[in-house]
Amino acid sequence: MLSRRWSLLFIAALSTFGQARTQLDLDSFEKVWTTIRDKHWQTKPGGLDWQAIHDEYRPQVEMAASHDEARAVIQEMLGRLKQSHFAIIPAVVYTVLDDEGPTGSGTTGIDARVLGGHAVVTSVDPDSPAAQQGVRPGWEIERTHGIDLEPLIKQGRSNPAIHELQLTRAVLARLSGPIGGKLDAVFLDGSGKTVNLSLDLTAPRGMSSAFGNLPEQHVWFENKRMGQTAYVRFNLFLDLPHVMASFQQTVENCRTCDGLIIDLRGNPGGIGGMAMGMAGFLVDKSNQRLGTMYLRDSTLNFVVNPRAKVFSGPVAVLMDGCSASTSEIFAGGLKDLGRARVFGTPTAAAALPSAFERLPNGDGFQYAVANYISEGGQPLEGLGVTPDVVVELTRSALLAGHDAVVDAAIDWIRKKP
Amino acid sequence: MNRRVLILLLTVAGAAVTSVYGADPLPSAESILDRYVQVTGGKQAYEKRKSEIAHGMVEFPALGIKGTMTRYAAQPDKYYYTVDIAAIGKMETGVTGSIAWENSALLGPRVKSGVERAEAIREGNMNATVNWRKLYPKVESQGIETIDGEDCFKVVMTPAEGQPIIGYYQKKSGLQVKLTTVASTQMGDIPVEVIASDYKNFGGILEPAMVIQKAGPQEFTMTLERVEVNPAIPPETFTLPAEVRALVDKTEAR
Repeated sequence: MLSRRWSLLFIAALSTFGQARTQLDLDSFEKVWTTIRDKHWQTKPGGLDWQAIHDEYRPQVEMAASHDEARAVIQEMLGRLKQSHFAIIPAVVYTVLDDEGPTGSGTTGIDARVLGGHAVVTSVDPDSPAAQQGVRPGWEIERTHGIDLEPLIKQGRSNPAIHELQLTRAVLARLSGPIGGKLDAVFLDGSGKTVNLSLDLTAPRGMSSAFGNLPEQHVWFENKRMGQTAYVRFNLFLDLPHVMASFQQTVENCRTCDGLIIDLRGNPGGIGGMAMGMAGFLVDKSNQRLGTMYLRDSTLNFVVNPRAKVFSGPVAVLMDGCSASTSEIFAGGLKDLGRARVFGTPTAAAALPSAFERLPNGDGFQYAVANYISEGGQPLEGLGVTPDVVVELTRSALLAGHDAVVDAAIDWIRKKP
Repeated sequence: MNRRVLILLLTVAGAAVTSVYGADPLPSAESILDRYVQVTGGKQAYEKRKSEIAHGMVEFPALGIKGTMTRYAAQPDKYYYTVDIAAIGKMETGVTGSIAWENSALLGPRVKSGVERAEAIREGNMNATVNWRKLYPKVESQGIETIDGEDCFKVVMTPAEGQPIIGYYQKKSGLQVKLTTVASTQMGDIPVEVIASDYKNFGGILEPAMVIQKAGPQEFTMTLERVEVNPAIPPETFTLPAEVRALVDKTEAR
């Protein structure tokens, strides 16, 4: 009797679980469908009768025998849009990416990318804890906070839902921690020797900058001369007054330069308008635009206002898979206008104000609210900017003290008549 | 003036206003626009105002961004408007003689042309409310719509150059509570909706202390805090900023 009562309870519990699962999937379906109905840039998303789509797919979600089946139905519905950046990200992906270990904004001064399936140091900030302890570009990072990075990279690379940008962010997150803390890391140096280091975690480079509801972020801007070539790099299109003024100063001091290199590798974007503002220092012709953004009720031209003083020499823009959004609008537009040559690797293909939200069932939902077409007629969302000259970083070149992408840009500038 | 005469006058005035809306359920656009001038202070109050400096706040709630705004205006058509937001920097726009311009840390200086220039010059007319006959050759009354539970007259004002403006005037109060248009900007034509509320007396003229403006994907609010009436505004306030001057010189040199 006792056992029967337990089994009844168990069956009831299972039944409740099933109902709860179905309801969560239905709630998730409704959230996805409603979001597209209300926020898609076309009133008839993808040219479809969106209400009819609802009536076709909701019964299928109701009938789904499992969460995976329900997700497949929602994915299929999104597929009917035939548009990029509408995706369901399985909840399990978040368990891979979210487990970042110790959290905090403390940094060792290392920037890294996944090259050939390994986390590799690509640059080290001067005077940073990593620089002081001798970490060099080209070193492999094997282990941080006592955990091997290889499984994360393997999972990330094998899952098509995880883009290079997300994987790199997940790797970089494992190189951070609380300010004032330590990062215990295991490296493989240039000679293949294992190096164990305990690195101080210090405040990120640059000045803390607030922009409305965005969390405060550290923004830095650097410029230098490489012979007669000016080089600028900044990590975000934020801290507008400071970054725009620094960019203007760089350009105005560059009257006799043989070229200008704008390094946007790792720059995830920021204030979209800054792309137009900066382009005004490089484009002298009126009525030019970087591209066009299509929203539900309006069309916005990303117009360039030529400044009174414009740099007219050759411009190289450096990009990689972590260059996104405003970086892509800037580089893609200048490339299409024939005003810049782009070097590096294809960009993140995330130019739109696309959003990620978690659904009631735990899955993620990515959707775009606008379409952006670069001046050359190509949508950046989902495609990104393809460099004019594809140059990949390699561990061996980094170990030899070379940044192959910068070298290629300088080489092009020097060969210009 | 004795009390009876005053009452008579008010009655006549009231009858005059009533007669405007009494017989015809849809009054003429002219009468609606004249009534707006009347209920916000009257023609004389507007004409007494030779210059003003308006101070307020601007906020983009969705972005969490706030700043200050200051609008300088002087008869007949001098205009300079500046918005200062810490995270974005200063944004200025103005009309100097026949040049309509804007300048910002974000997009740099530029000179407006075409329809955008025409709109800016209309905007720069200090007493646009009174001068609607000069600014809008064609006005039409197009029906009644309910806004926030109040019947409003819909008036379409068409300028000589540019898109029509549709104003909504409360039947009861005569105040303009909504305005829609399509603004010509360098980024393209953008649908604009303006909701005006909280009318307050600023130096003898009623003005909306709260304005919510939806322009394309952006929504922002402007709160008018105080208006300096007939202040002495230094002439250089209305001169072209150096960056805009340099741009004009460059264009003229070509």
